[in-house]
Amino acid sequence: MGLNMSDNRNLQDQKRRLLAEKFELRRKLYKAFAKDTDLPNDVREKFRGKLADLPRNSSFTRVMNRCVFTGRARSVYQMFRVSRIVFRDLASGGLLHGVKKSSW
Amino acid sequence: MSMTSLKSMLAQAAVRGVTEARAAIFGHVLNPTGQRSAHKILRKKFIGEKVASWYPNDIQKEDPLVVARKEQDRLSKLEMLKRRGKGAPKKGHGKRAAKRNK
Repeated sequence: MGLNMSDNRNLQDQKRRLLAEKFELRRKLYKAFAKDTDLPNDVREKFRGKLADLPRNSSFTRVMNRCVFTGRARSVYQMFRVSRIVFRDLASGGLLHGVKKSSW
Repeated sequence: MSMTSLKSMLAQAAVRGVTEARAAIFGHVLNPTGQRSAHKILRKKFIGEKVASWYPNDIQKEDPLVVARKEQDRLSKLEMLKRRGKGAPKKGHGKRAAKRNK
């Protein structure tokens, strides 16, 4: 509940996600206008400036898929939203539906 | 030689006509020369909602009884520490501040 170090990272990440969702439309619009070759160059410049003025944390590239349980940033699978360690624990305990050890 | 090129020209014209008709019907954006276009950015779908819903909501936060109990635990822990004389120091009296002011 915000007592561990990993929770702080997760809170930051959640903040970035919300910002990215909020500014998404605007961001796309500015980028599209800035790259449109049919527009005059000063209009493109203006939109390039507007794109740069948007908060940095509203970029999707800054969002990191962290593990939901531990907050681990690496080795997180999108299908389960957990890191490989937690995945192994859950899967071995039979808590993941349809997941079993493969051997063929 | 000119017969084959005439035939290929006709075929090309027919194909172009078909693609233009298809675009007019379905509302496609055409770019036969393949120039850079802003349509490439605009045609992608929105992902914001999916991105924002990565972390699951903590149901303990919604239950007021649980929240109150946890807050009570925190406060009583602070009380215990203060009773023993181990609570947080006043502002400007901590270890670092003392070193700075010395």
